[in-house]
Amino acid sequence: MWEQLNRILRQAGSQIVGYTVDFLPGVLVSLTVILVAFIVALLVRVLLVRALRALDFDRRAQQVGLAAFAMWPASANPSLTVARVVYWAILVLGFLASFTALNATIPSRLALSVFEYVPRLAAALLIVVAGILMARFLARSVLIGAVNMQIQSARLLSLAVKWVILLVTAATALDQLDIGRRILPLAFGILFGGVVLAASLALGLGAKDAVSRTIERQLRDSARQEGDKLDHV
Amino acid sequence: MASTGLNSSVRAADASAARADIAIALASYNHARTIGPVVRAVRDGLATHFGSSAAQIVLADGGSTDGTREAARAATGATELVEVGYSAPIASLTTVPYHGFPGRANALRAILETIRRLSVRAVALVDAGIETADSTRIANLVAPILTDQFDYASSYYVRHRFDGLITKGIVAPLFRTLYGATLRQPAAGEFGCSARMADHFLQQDVWDREGAQAGIDLWLASEAVCGGFRVCEAALGVRGMVHHETTDLSTTLAQVVGSVFADMEHRVGVWQRVRQAVTVPLFGADERPEPEAAVPNVERLTESFRLGYRELREIWTWVLPPKTIIALRRLAEAPSDRFRFDDLLWASIVYDFALGYSLRLMPRDHLLRSLTPIYSGWMASIVPQIQDATEAQVDARLEQVCAAFDAEKRYLISRWRWPERLRR
Repeated sequence: MWEQLNRILRQAGSQIVGYTVDFLPGVLVSLTVILVAFIVALLVRVLLVRALRALDFDRRAQQVGLAAFAMWPASANPSLTVARVVYWAILVLGFLASFTALNATIPSRLALSVFEYVPRLAAALLIVVAGILMARFLARSVLIGAVNMQIQSARLLSLAVKWVILLVTAATALDQLDIGRRILPLAFGILFGGVVLAASLALGLGAKDAVSRTIERQLRDSARQEGDKLDHV
Repeated sequence: MASTGLNSSVRAADASAARADIAIALASYNHARTIGPVVRAVRDGLATHFGSSAAQIVLADGGSTDGTREAARAATGATELVEVGYSAPIASLTTVPYHGFPGRANALRAILETIRRLSVRAVALVDAGIETADSTRIANLVAPILTDQFDYASSYYVRHRFDGLITKGIVAPLFRTLYGATLRQPAAGEFGCSARMADHFLQQDVWDREGAQAGIDLWLASEAVCGGFRVCEAALGVRGMVHHETTDLSTTLAQVVGSVFADMEHRVGVWQRVRQAVTVPLFGADERPEPEAAVPNVERLTESFRLGYRELREIWTWVLPPKTIIALRRLAEAPSDRFRFDDLLWASIVYDFALGYSLRLMPRDHLLRSLTPIYSGWMASIVPQIQDATEAQVDARLEQVCAAFDAEKRYLISRWRWPERLRR
């Protein structure tokens, strides 16, 4: 009996040693991958901060309104925040890559599916940034143009333009991420249609008199402008 | 000689390569109604004042579709007409400049190149859209060049006190302070110049610069002043122009002020050294009465400023320091009868916008257009001050505006050198 127990224990021991020997190189590789990812992330972070500072990114981000939209933490400036995001993204990707070296099925699948998702994530991020920039630019264009045309509700027009663009941007980005593919267009359509319908009803029923007064005033003003015609140059 | 009617400027110009002393150049675009009288006035002016000198008329037409060229040929008579062809850039066809002349820089360049081939001594560029053309104008543009050896004669028109307020309130004071020459209408489209001045113009890189189609007239004037050439003003009487429905106030302001700011950016080394303005001599006396003009609606201008303050204040904070924003707030809250725009405040605002333009603090078009309500505010303040004033009092008031620009130049220079202090 003692012999049998001894044999089983030796077998188990040799199996554990065998598994450990099989597993150890994978662990070493994955640790190396994590270490390399950490070094790369650190390097990229330092270089990115320097490059962004050289490009005056903080001021530019504030100018185009990216700073306000991105809601940077008060302790960090835009360039530092971007560098941190990139740093953590590289670290997370490094961790995921390290799983594949362990030869474990579930973590490897997870890592692969995340890797497949990265291009979509990048595209969505690009769409969001472009959308924010466009919304900001067009909102400002509309605001300045409307003020120069002496439209009293210039701010409202500008805000409407900004939020329509932001909504479209958000819907496009989520679609790119494959989130709510069915619900989102439907929700967006209902929301947008609802807004337009509400605005039409408000104008048609509630603000009929106000609209006619506004049009009347516009016509009177344009007639008065004829008298103001000056050669300014 | 009758017109060759050729499209190519080279062939047309070579075909009439006889040397001339004077060339009168006309830049036209759909001016069939006015070009005939203008050409006849040019002929009369040449015959009356420069009968002994050989002269040619050069016509650069921007592709008129109303028979402008035919009208010019018919009116030329015995004087030689050289037709110059040029192509307007597509951008200038889509974004019409405030003067309503697409491809103006290309037209002027083509004219000056043709003039160089003709080896003339004096050139006068005359606007084909002038409704008040007479022979004296030609004499006043050409005589300073031909007989007094000036290199550049800038046009000076008699204008109604409310006309040209962008020029009176921004362009002329800036030009005088920056470049040290008291040209009162440096962006005007007519001028006279010598052969060496024309050569100098052609050697410059202004022609293809961004915004050249709108700003070329002003840039040539500053080129003449900054290049150390002998400059004078030529009194041309009343400026009766065919009114083109081209651009709104905001676009006009953006184009004109933008062209001054762009020029300013290219000549930092020059204007930072200029200490004092030199008075430019005026050729020809003008005693004609003040022409008619519309009276601006002050109430509307004030409202425009207040609306601008309410909605654009946030944008202005990118360009203007806090103390200026506070001053604008006081102004926006002031009752209409006490609405007075301080000259120093106005000058500092223009300078801050110039710096904002140079630093590209926001898209330049946004920046320039956001100046419109402030300009309206300045107009609302200046109009009642000069409305019932005598001509001398109007001149004195405008001189005060110029003096404020002079006084604030130190502020401009310090801001330009240390822009990081912009927002203090």
